[in-house]
Formats: sequence, structure tokens, C-alpha cells
Amino acid sequence: MRGWGTGDRGVGLLARFLALGLWLWALSLAQPTPNTPPPDFSPRVFEIAGELRCPVCQGESAAESNAGIAVEMRRIIAEQLAQGKTEAEIRQFFVERYGDWILYEPPARGLTLWVWLSPLIGLGLLGYGLWRYLARVRARVQAPIADVSEEEIARLEAELQTPERKS
Amino acid sequence: MLRFWPIWVLLLGGLFYWGMQRPNPNELKSVLVGKPAPSFSLPLLEPYRAQYGPEMGIGEGLDKPVLLNIWASWCIPCRTEAPLLERFHQQYKDQVLILGVNVQDKEAEALKFVQQYGLTFPSVYDGRGRIGIEYGYYGVPETFVIDRNGTVLARHAGELSEAQLKGYLRQVLQ
Repeated sequence: MRGWGTGDRGVGLLARFLALGLWLWALSLAQPTPNTPPPDFSPRVFEIAGELRCPVCQGESAAESNAGIAVEMRRIIAEQLAQGKTEAEIRQFFVERYGDWILYEPPARGLTLWVWLSPLIGLGLLGYGLWRYLARVRARVQAPIADVSEEEIARLEAELQTPERKS
Repeated sequence: MLRFWPIWVLLLGGLFYWGMQRPNPNELKSVLVGKPAPSFSLPLLEPYRAQYGPEMGIGEGLDKPVLLNIWASWCIPCRTEAPLLERFHQQYKDQVLILGVNVQDKEAEALKFVQQYGLTFPSVYDGRGRIGIEYGYYGVPETFVIDRNGTVLARHAGELSEAQLKGYLRQVLQ
């Protein structure tokens, strides 16, 4: 065992390094991978919970939060999925208890309808304004021609036919 | 279009005024107000079983109005609210039932809380807070005012003051 010229101490050191490496590797395995659902719920549960607000949190969905109420919401979703309920039925369950507020994407009706329609209304108004502006510019370009009286046109034509011009 | 500027100013001003008049976004309205209170029956915390039986809850045919108070031992406002609720329970127990629902809590901690504040109004145990979700709760403490017919009259999110509690009692005893 002395062939490598390091001796028993060298082997011991190597073994210690290996053990340290193994320990660090095991530690890295023990860390939870971020953003993956815990094994007790399916990714579908988190998909549905992601569309629902966590009632006690600020700006966190029921999928992201670890608050007790969010955990219970995920449990309810898992139970209802197991009962064969559809995603819409599960969402409705929470809407019946919390109102549309619980949904991250509120349905387009009532006051919310205006929020959905306002970009379209804005675009419409902008288009109307632009059309009116262009129509006015076009009218201004064409107006001087129409405004010249026949008398003036005759005088201009006469001037254009003066001898100097002809030559 | 600019010729009509007073109309635009009035329109924008009106929109601004309307926006300012909207209800406080922090005020949490319950969709349950005016609707029947969700029924449930949960095990009572141990100290109340001798007087009220093993379970208690909201069901059909309430014999008196109910103030359903959702609480937890780790909740700081619940600690200031508990003595007030106890005082009102002593004063109005013949007219109103104050029913506590302990949520998101350990039973042992809940029992310690009950003992510490000497609470004599009954409390049921709902460790996971499922009944809270049935009622659409946002956190603790939260109080639901339920009339004799089992209809939710109001929801109060946060700690109750004495004046607010008196107001709700007046509303429910009318």
C-alpha cells in the first residue's frame, strides 16, 4: 500500500476527502428542489390553486403560499378532484364562498366588463380621433383649390398666356 | 373635439369623483350576508362537553341568534378580544349564543388559551380551518352575526371593539 509514495496517511486523507464529498453530495440531495409541488398533491392541484388567491396573503396564490388556509385550500382541491369534479366546479366552490375576488382572472361581467372593454374603447376613440384629424388635414389641402373663384382662374390663365411666357 | 373641453373636464372629473366614492377596498364584504349560514357540527373543546354535549355547530332551527367567532391561540388580536366576548357572554347568554371556532391551531394550545382567559362560552375545534373556508374567512379573528332564522346578517373581519359588538347585538336582537 505504500506504492503511491503517499503512505497510509495519504490514503486516510483521501478517504476523509471522499467521505466529506459524499456527505456534501448527500446534503445537496436532501435540499428540496424549488418550485416543485410536494409529493402529497398532484401538479394539477397546484395548477388550479395557482388561479386562486390565498385569502390571508398579499399577492400570493393558493399554490405558492404555505399559510394554513392555502394548504387547506389545496387539500380541498385534491379531494374534489378525487371525487371527479371539474376545474370549473372547483373554482365555483371557492367563488360561492369568497366571491369573484378569489379568482386571479375575474370573469368579464359587471364592473369587470369595463376593465376588459376599456382597451377596445380606447383604441376605438383613438381611431376616431385620427380619422377626424386626417379628414380635416385632407379638407385643408383641398380647400384652396375649391375656394378660387372663376374670375381669378380666368385672370390667372390670361396671365399665363402673356407673350413673355410663350417665348 | 377640443371645442368641447368643459364637457371633457366634467366627464373626467365625474369619473375621478366616482372612483373616489367606491367602497373601501380593504373592507372585506362577505358573499354570505343575507344567505343561510353554512351548517356544520364539530367536536367541542373538552371543558365544554359536560354542559353542551360532544358536538356543537350551526344547523336548522337555532333557538337564539349566534355570534360565530373564529379564533386561534396564536392570534394576538384574539387575545384582546377574548375577555370582551366573555364579558358579553356573561351579560347576554340568555339572548345570544357566542360560539367560538378554534381554527389552524393545536388543541392543547387552544385549551391553554381557554383556561388562561377563563372562557365560558363554548368553542368547537377545527384544526385545519375547513369551516373557516366554508364561511369564506380571511383570517382570525373573524365574527359572523347569524340571526334566529340562520341567516348571516354581517361579517366582521378583525378584532371587535365594545361598540361594534354592542351594535351587532342590537342588530341581531331586533
